Order: sequence, then structure tokens, then C-alpha cells
Amino acid sequence: MLRLEGVTKSFGGKHAVDGVSLVVPAGQMVGVIGRSGAGKSTLLRMINRLGDPTSGRILFGDTDVTALRGRPLRAWRARCAMIFQQFNLAGRLDVLTNVMMGRAFHLPATRALFKMWSDEEKAQALSALESLDMARMAGQRAETLSGGQQQRVAIARALIQQPDIVLADEPIASLDPRNTKVVMDALQHINRHLGITVICNLHSLDLARGCCDRLVGMAGGRVVFDDVPAALTEATARELYGLEAGDVMGHGAPPPVPLPAGAQPGFALAGS
Amino acid sequence: MDAVRARYPEHFTRWSRQRLSMIGIAAALFVLLLFGMGELGFFDGTLLTGFGRLFEIAGLMLPPDPGSWAHARAYGMALIETVAIALLGTVAAGVLALPVGLLAARNVTAQRIVRFLARRSLDTIRSVDILIWALIWINVVGLGPFAGALAIMTSDIGSFGKLFSEAIEAADRKPVEGIASTGGSHLMGIRFGILPEVFPVLASQVLYYFESNTRSATIIGIVGAGGIGLHLAEAIRTLELQQTSFIILMILVTVAAIDVVSSQLRFAMIGRRAGIGK
Repeated sequence: MLRLEGVTKSFGGKHAVDGVSLVVPAGQMVGVIGRSGAGKSTLLRMINRLGDPTSGRILFGDTDVTALRGRPLRAWRARCAMIFQQFNLAGRLDVLTNVMMGRAFHLPATRALFKMWSDEEKAQALSALESLDMARMAGQRAETLSGGQQQRVAIARALIQQPDIVLADEPIASLDPRNTKVVMDALQHINRHLGITVICNLHSLDLARGCCDRLVGMAGGRVVFDDVPAALTEATARELYGLEAGDVMGHGAPPPVPLPAGAQPGFALAGS
Repeated sequence: MDAVRARYPEHFTRWSRQRLSMIGIAAALFVLLLFGMGELGFFDGTLLTGFGRLFEIAGLMLPPDPGSWAHARAYGMALIETVAIALLGTVAAGVLALPVGLLAARNVTAQRIVRFLARRSLDTIRSVDILIWALIWINVVGLGPFAGALAIMTSDIGSFGKLFSEAIEAADRKPVEGIASTGGSHLMGIRFGILPEVFPVLASQVLYYFESNTRSATIIGIVGAGGIGLHLAEAIRTLELQQTSFIILMILVTVAAIDVVSSQLRFAMIGRRAGIGK
């Protein structure tokens, strides 16, 4: 069970994340929604400790994640895999080596630095790739793959971490619709069949509604909604997304704001 | 138009203060140049007579001729030695500069004091010219190609350290973050997140320096650090001008050949060899 207690992150006096408290039971699939700049990424990065909270605590079971340093911190990161919007692979390394980085914490440094993987480790990485239909690309440089393929490599890397939690930070924001489906299906599979907790930042509300057990809506760094997807009314969604609401809900633009009587749009500019 | 001029007068002044000061500075620099040329004897007529002599020398250089077969052989061997000095010095410098470059890079070394020390020591090395290093090493290990290779190595550690650290700092942060997110150590992040990306850049810098060092190696040969430079200096001193031009031609061909090979190697390394890896 993951517990956040009053987690706050400030950048230069501005709160990117402001007093977030959440409890995520094991095995849940949580979608974090909200417009860009709502603090979703900052929140996820703090859970993995790529960013440190300014105040508040993050607990996993009895462990205070926020207090970890050095090796225990790396052990936590190994249990808490992260998938990024931009995949964060090493482009010039082959796919297999990239996936192998999922074992980075467990591999002895001397062996790993010379890329001396054991047969067992290779088999593990290849079967993770196979489950995502990517095994035949194992020898290829990551930078030669399409975005969707790279994201699948990144998921394979997360899988061989054998994590308790998978954090996905806008995993489909750089992908086309077909790859969006492949990646979201993979995340759902990880959650449903492997029982791993998945916390996923999503910009698209329709997608989040379809995939997640629970939605956490953020606005201005605060949690403003936390319930099952069915409880999210159109009004709440509008409040969450403001002007972006039309884009993320998939039914056209929001109705045009009625103009005051007598005003002629476009005319004001010509006169001045 | 007058209305616009009244609103933005600063764009309509013909002689703005900025423009006047620019003209003033340019004029002052020109006067300084003339004064300096006068001091160095540019206007005493030696230049004119000297020009004639230059053509005379050029005439005496033709046709290039080593003089004898034995000379040609000696020059060939010396040239090979020069290339060897350049290659050894450059490769050794590259290998030694990598750790220093890592220490001097902000995204690798968090401790400011370590970075500061690494950078300042690189500056110190760079502030001494290769010719001075050659003289120093000749005092340490004696005349000969070993001193030459050491001179190139020390001088290039300074340049490589700086170039490498800049290339490393320009590396993309995302792969490193990807490895950090899986619990990988800082060392793993450097090894798999940074080095694969910067390696082609570093290698092409080393190759370029190899080519440029072949030219430097001829210079340090003149002070006695091995290679073709000694023969070149001697030929000029004894006014064997046909031999001089022969040696210069040999150097020219060698540098051109190295240039061709190294640029091909560089493109091969940076080039996107799409498809199957090893």
C-alpha cells in the first residue's frame, strides 16, 4: 500500500504540488488526470524519488520512502518502475541492453559495466520483450525504432524490474492512436494479470475513464477529485480541464461563449 | 510621417551615440595598427626588398628533390616517426583525458570543488604551449620521439579534457534519468546513459586532433623531439631549398591522406548505420 501524506513540492515559492494526500491499495490501477501543469508529473516523479518533496511524506508499507538515501533509495526505485513520455532509452544502445537496465540495481557493477549478462538474464529480458511482441528487435539500436516500439521497450525494462508499482508519466502523449492502444493494453495487462499497482498520468479523460479503477483529478497542484470513473460528472471534468475540456473529452469544442449584444467580433482591431 | 517620427525619435537620429562611438573605436584601432606596423619595421623598405627575396627562394625550391636516395629514405623514416608520435600522443591523451573530462562535467560530478579543481588543472595544462611541453619533456627524458609523444599527450590532455567535458554536459539527460529510475547507480547511468551517446563525438575529436597533431609533430621535431621536423629545420638552415620543398611536399601528402582517412572514419562512427547492431 502506497500512502502520500501532505506531499508538497515548491519551485521558487510556487507550489507545483500542494499538500497531496492519497492512499493507493496494492493492485489498483489509478489514473491521474488534469490539465498540463496541474502537477501530475511532479507528483509521479516524487513517488519514484526522481524529485524530492519540499514537505510531506510518502510511505510504502512501513517504509518512509522520502527518508531513503543511497542504496536503499535505489532499492526502492527498483521496486517502483517508471515509464516516461519520452521513453528515456539510450538511443545508441541496442534494445536488449536497454531492457537489461531494468536489472541495473541487482546486477553486480563490475559485470554490468562490461555488458556481461548471464544467459538467464538475457532470457528474462527477451521473454519480457516477447510479451510485448518486440523480441525480434532485440539487436536493433533503440533510436531506430518508432515511438510506439520504443515505449514497448521501456515497458519491457519496467517489467524485468519485477516491480510492486509501475508509474507511467503520460506514456501515450507522444504516440499515434494504434500505439496508444498497444501501450494502454500492456499497462492494463500488467495491472490485471500481474497484480502490479499502476499509477498513470493521462491527459486524455476518455482513455483514463476506460482503463482505470480510480481517477485522481488534479488542478493547481491539489487533488480536487478522487473516486471511481463513473462518479466523474461532466461539470467536474469541465472544472478540472477548463478550456481544454473539449479536447480531452472527445466531443467537439466547448460551446462558444455568447457575445454581448451589439459586439462585432474582429471589428475592434480594424479601428485602432 | 512626422507623427511617427515624433513618437519614436530614437529611430530617426542620424548620428546616434552608439554609431559615433563605433566609428571612434574603429579609427583608434586603425591608428594603433599603423603605429605597431611602424614599430616592427614594416615601412623601412625591407618588406619590398624582402618580397623579391621570397620569390628568389621559391625559385630555388624548384624542383623538389631529396638530393639522394639515402636522404629520401631517411626522410621517409622520419615522417613515419612523426605520424607515430602524433598517433601515440593523441591516443594516450584521449584515454587519460576521459576520466578528467568526466570529473569536470556538471552532469557527472556533483561536487563543485572536484569540478573546479579538474577544470583549473585542465586550464593550467592548456595555458602551456605544446612547444614548451616538448622542451620540458626533452629535459626529462632526453631528445627523441618519446619526448615528442609525451609533449603531444600533455598538451592535448588539456584540450581533450575541456572538449570532452563540454560534449558530456551537452548529452541528453533523459537516458540517464531512465537508468536512475530503475535503481541503477550513478556509475551505470554514466556507462549506459551518457558514454554511448557521447562516444562518437569524442572519437571524432580525437581523430581530428590526430590529423592536426601530425602537423604539430613536425614543429616539435625542430626543437629535437623526434620526427621529420629536425630534417626540415636542418634543410632550411643549410639552404638546401630543394630538399626543404621535398620535405614540405611529403608532409602535405601525409596530412592530406590522414585527413581523408580520418574524415571517413568519423562519418562512419557518427553516421546512422540503421539496422542490425553487432
